[in-house]
Amino acid sequence: KLGHPSELPPEPAPDYEGDEPFLRRVHHVLLEVEVLEGVLQCPDSGRQFPISRGIPNMLLSEEEA
Amino acid sequence: MAEAEAAGDAGVAPAPAPAPAPAPAPAPAPAPAPAEQGAELAAVIGATVPTGFELTAAAEVQEKLGSASRISRDRGKIYFEVPARGLPQVHRLRSVDNLFVVVQEFKDYQFKENKEDALKDLEDLVKKLPWTDPLKVWELNNSLKKKKTKRKKHNLQSTASKEKLNDNGEEEGTDQKDASEQEDCAQNAAGVEPASGQDTEKTQGVASRNGEEEEEEEDNEQSDAKDELQAGSGSETKAGDGKTSDGEAKVLKFRVTCNRAGDKHSFTSNEAARYFGGAVQEHFQWKADMTNFDVEVLLNIHNNEVVVGIALTEESLHRRNITHFGPTTLRSTLAYGMLRLCDPQPTDIIVDPMCGTGAIPIEGATEWPSCYHIAGDNNPQAVKRAANNICSLLKKNENKESSTSLGIPLDIIQWDICNLPLRTGSVDIIVTDMPFGKRIGSKKKNWDLYPACLMEMGRICTPGTGRAVLLTQDKKCFAKALSRMGHIWRKGQTVWVNVGGLHAAVYLLKRTWERAEEKRSFW
Repeated sequence: KLGHPSELPPEPAPDYEGDEPFLRRVHHVLLEVEVLEGVLQCPDSGRQFPISRGIPNMLLSEEEA
Repeated sequence: MAEAEAAGDAGVAPAPAPAPAPAPAPAPAPAPAPAEQGAELAAVIGATVPTGFELTAAAEVQEKLGSASRISRDRGKIYFEVPARGLPQVHRLRSVDNLFVVVQEFKDYQFKENKEDALKDLEDLVKKLPWTDPLKVWELNNSLKKKKTKRKKHNLQSTASKEKLNDNGEEEGTDQKDASEQEDCAQNAAGVEPASGQDTEKTQGVASRNGEEEEEEEDNEQSDAKDELQAGSGSETKAGDGKTSDGEAKVLKFRVTCNRAGDKHSFTSNEAARYFGGAVQEHFQWKADMTNFDVEVLLNIHNNEVVVGIALTEESLHRRNITHFGPTTLRSTLAYGMLRLCDPQPTDIIVDPMCGTGAIPIEGATEWPSCYHIAGDNNPQAVKRAANNICSLLKKNENKESSTSLGIPLDIIQWDICNLPLRTGSVDIIVTDMPFGKRIGSKKKNWDLYPACLMEMGRICTPGTGRAVLLTQDKKCFAKALSRMGHIWRKGQTVWVNVGGLHAAVYLLKRTWERAEEKRSFW
């Protein structure tokens, strides 16, 4: 979803802790890539939260809360 | 190196006691021996810390400098000894606000009851004090500061306007000093006036009539006041009498700052500063200057405890991380103390759910980079300021060749504390400065907010090992909210602190083993 789909499997493999190349890619995505504009999508509800200038806005609306 | 307590405390021993005599003359506590030839220069450093966090600061000193600290009865200060070469590390301490080198400490100074006598004693004290080594430390400290200013100017970009102002201020100070040096030399050439005694009195007389010092009477326990000596006309100088040992004819400028607390003194801090300062001026032939001083002499009087020191810091260290302030930005030293209280371990997830301008998570990410820090607030301005502060921090760390900088393990999100987008039991540590209900929010809002916060924080916090450190001034509301959450939160230590003049408390809470109820499945 971040433009690196080909590099990461959809789910971690069972022995991911020992798989260093995988760990490096995850580290990169988690800690070195910053989304400046985009959305975060809830995997359960599908609700999208906007990201603006690197900051996601996760405030719920009146109805949602 | 523990200094022996003065014998005076335990009861008076009559005449031929080798210990410090408790009789009329004030008895100094043993001072560190002056450095012998070949021995290394060491210093006793005094540090001011947020009241209540003296032990935390002492722990940091032990950890980073390997020195044990003494905590004085004058709250908010700790003392420790370091070799002079350890000064750079001393400046990197995160739990201290200001630093000074101790000239001498008196654990049980007997003040004369009569005001004139008491003040005369202070005057006479000056020439008996061991100034040499502390002044060497002060000089060493100066050269460290100069290097730091040069580096600061390189790294800072224009957004950090506040820091830049200080840099300019420092520069101006130096220039002024050069100008006045020349003036002094000119005076010398014209002919030297007769010896100091009478002139000093005259100068003092002028000073007191000028009335430019602030007159603040404090006779109660808790208050302190800063009063400075200002000389009227310039004093004459003798060429080559400056304190620099490399032969420059430099006249140093100084001021005396006196803090006095206690209800048995016959004089005010103002008067003490004046008399002490007059004697300092006479002894060193320095020039008194309230604003552009080189040497700041500190005279701290807390009941019978007297400490004479020389300041090593100018701007307080506590605002170091923040360039964009909000209405209630927390001191970085206080943020550090709170974080340390949680004992963060590598890989801990640390969340500040009401981060404001981000003082706590920024301090956290800087000092505990092997933890992951998440900051959030519902207020868009706060979030923006926090993001700006993080940017300033990134710029400071910027690599000079490329324009990329090493990332910081810190993220910021706009969220609602009552509906945190974090999984149950996934957070190790929660540290936050809760709205006091004075400058932000209201006491009434707190009655609803505090229980909701504690509940949601309880949900996201890891059962058993999780902990929270919460700062608040609204202690009543907090206690009530906590009383209903005994199944989730166990109260640990409480630290009483002073935040912007308000008496607040820092509560350490431990998360019980009980699992939180899963929320309705919005998340």
